[in-house]
Amino acid sequence: MTVLNKVESETAAPETATAARHSPLEHRAAELERRSTSGARGVRLHEEPFLSQINLRTPPGGVESSAVSDSLGLPLPTVNRVSGDEHHAVLWLGPDESLIVAPDGRAEHLLRTVRDAQRGGSGSAVDVSANRTTLRLSGPAAREVLEKLCSLDLHPRSFGPGDCAQTLLGRVIVVLWQLDREPGYRIMVRCSFADYLVDLLLDAMAEFLDG
Amino acid sequence: MVADGNTPAPPERLWRNPEPKRNYDVVIVGAGGHGLATAYYLARNHGITDIAVVERGWLAGGNMARNTTIIRSNYLLDASAALYDHALRLWEELPEELEYEFHFSQRGVLNLAHTEQEVRDARRRAFANELNGVDAEWLTPDEIAEVCPILDTSPNLRYPVLGATYQRRAGIAKHDLVAWGLARKCDEMGVDFIQNREVTGFLTDEDRVVGVRTDKGDIGAGRVGLAAAGRTTLLTDTLGLRLPLQSHPLQAMATEILEPVHPCVVMSNHVHVYTSQAHKGELVLGAGIDTHNGYAQRGSVHVVENQLAAAVELFPVFARAHLLRTWAGTVDVTPDASPIIGPTPYENLFVNCGWGTGGFKATPGAGWVFAHTIATGAPHPLNEPYGMERFTTGALIDEHGAAAVAH
Amino acid sequence: MLLVRCPWCGDRDEAEFRYGGQADVDYPADPHQLDDAAWGEYLFVRANPLGSFNERWVHTAGCRRWFSLVRDTATNEMSPDIPRRRESR
Repeated sequence: MTVLNKVESETAAPETATAARHSPLEHRAAELERRSTSGARGVRLHEEPFLSQINLRTPPGGVESSAVSDSLGLPLPTVNRVSGDEHHAVLWLGPDESLIVAPDGRAEHLLRTVRDAQRGGSGSAVDVSANRTTLRLSGPAAREVLEKLCSLDLHPRSFGPGDCAQTLLGRVIVVLWQLDREPGYRIMVRCSFADYLVDLLLDAMAEFLDG
Repeated sequence: MVADGNTPAPPERLWRNPEPKRNYDVVIVGAGGHGLATAYYLARNHGITDIAVVERGWLAGGNMARNTTIIRSNYLLDASAALYDHALRLWEELPEELEYEFHFSQRGVLNLAHTEQEVRDARRRAFANELNGVDAEWLTPDEIAEVCPILDTSPNLRYPVLGATYQRRAGIAKHDLVAWGLARKCDEMGVDFIQNREVTGFLTDEDRVVGVRTDKGDIGAGRVGLAAAGRTTLLTDTLGLRLPLQSHPLQAMATEILEPVHPCVVMSNHVHVYTSQAHKGELVLGAGIDTHNGYAQRGSVHVVENQLAAAVELFPVFARAHLLRTWAGTVDVTPDASPIIGPTPYENLFVNCGWGTGGFKATPGAGWVFAHTIATGAPHPLNEPYGMERFTTGALIDEHGAAAVAH
Repeated sequence: MLLVRCPWCGDRDEAEFRYGGQADVDYPADPHQLDDAAWGEYLFVRANPLGSFNERWVHTAGCRRWFSLVRDTATNEMSPDIPRRRESR
């Protein structure tokens, strides 16, 4: 089999392509809504589809990293941390690897910005928006739900807002990102594993259904 | 077929506990199944009875006490089929020969195929088995359901059962009783079992081994045979002899005692399950090795978890059973998943090792060919391909690649 | 269950890692100079000690970096030192 590597088109995708998009979990939106609860022991789950995601490789501490950082208007994150907020963030993935996360539709602009900053140096920037979808889990019981699936210590003393980790939930690799103290989390998961992860999360949420 | 209540009452004494002599014609290191069978066939086939079997713990207390007792011979490669089927034929005659009922139950083994590729591989193996005179049948899911009704053969599984090879002559045996039966006969023929004595190295005269060092004094030996499984390299390292072995934890587990529900042995390489129901009634399941090297005789929980998840998917009734015990042994794994049986560069030192996860089924066969190797100084035709030189010549017996073996 | 210290991400459950065997086994400087026995030894033979073992792990479910640590193969105790950060090859 021959695989041809095609240079990515710089032109914007036509409107019709956007209209035809389907997110991996859209068929479960009503179910997620129904199984979410509010109150003192409530927990909510919904999909945040189509977030723009750029995988960034930059030699740590080099001129490239400060150029990239300047272009984004954000410092590159330190270990296991997130720089920025939920609308514009850079997540630490590894010693020379980060993930830029922004709202839908920002990928192309971000890609151009970062590649301009990297020009002449080493590193790479790749649009991986289609790689993962994002789940948002929030509410007072959110941490208890996650703890059933995750071996990390998620107690506030060791994992809090602005922390992120690549880890396992059940048997799936995810990027786990705590957004705020409520607590609210983003869970970024590969599209083909998303259904399985939702099954796990809904099962873990079941005890909180009747608040 | 399962619990029959006919287990013989343990006699007062099956073997003596003698003080070791200063010298023996042969010293075997390790009183597990293979060490016992080697001593037995040295005496029976070669008339050598001046033997000490030296054991660091108690007789049959290592992997012999920890395995899942599966016996089968449906291997793909010629060298494997020959060796394992020789062992199976010996199993068939051994209870009578030892005058000891060790519950060898030929209840059959199903090796499941879950993908189209596995179906092709399994059928190829069944054809190869037939050519080698090893009994093998190919069963469809409906036929599988007749053999083992508790197995979920519906198409709804994540990895549905698409078929299975079936070896009717395969089965299980009661491991302790096998060891005791062998030990009793060996003892009758004059073999000394020296328990609680750890061999720590060798007595050498240039490139010749003349005995063993132990934690309680030296023992002279005309020939020395290693049957020490996971601890083999600890001994060969003392000679600077480097063997291609890695020792890993291997776990198994058992439920409480249940009514007979599981009529055969079922193995699945794809989801990695192998299970049977012991004579007493426990469901016995085996896991894969823990991937890291280790001598702790203890493995990790996630390995057991994965094993149980797969088992419950295949056998929905298992969800109602309670897991009572998990344990681990230390298995020595070779790069080609086949054992090393043969002479060494040291005169009078012979090794039988590298059985990895599948040594129990070969117990009498390994003993037979290893005894021949020790007695004559040269391999038996059946273990000729199993020498350590294959890792230099490249003539590997690659059961890993050929059959994705879970033993 | 082992708790493995990734030099980048910190203490993580063993299930997040894959094992890489003995560390510091270098590719022969001049493979053509090796005879069959030496080549076979390079390919197939690794240390298998009871006790301290210098070994490779990769944090597959995390940062995906390879690193080395020292573990006791009898007790599973790991060296308290931060494992050496050795870049992937």
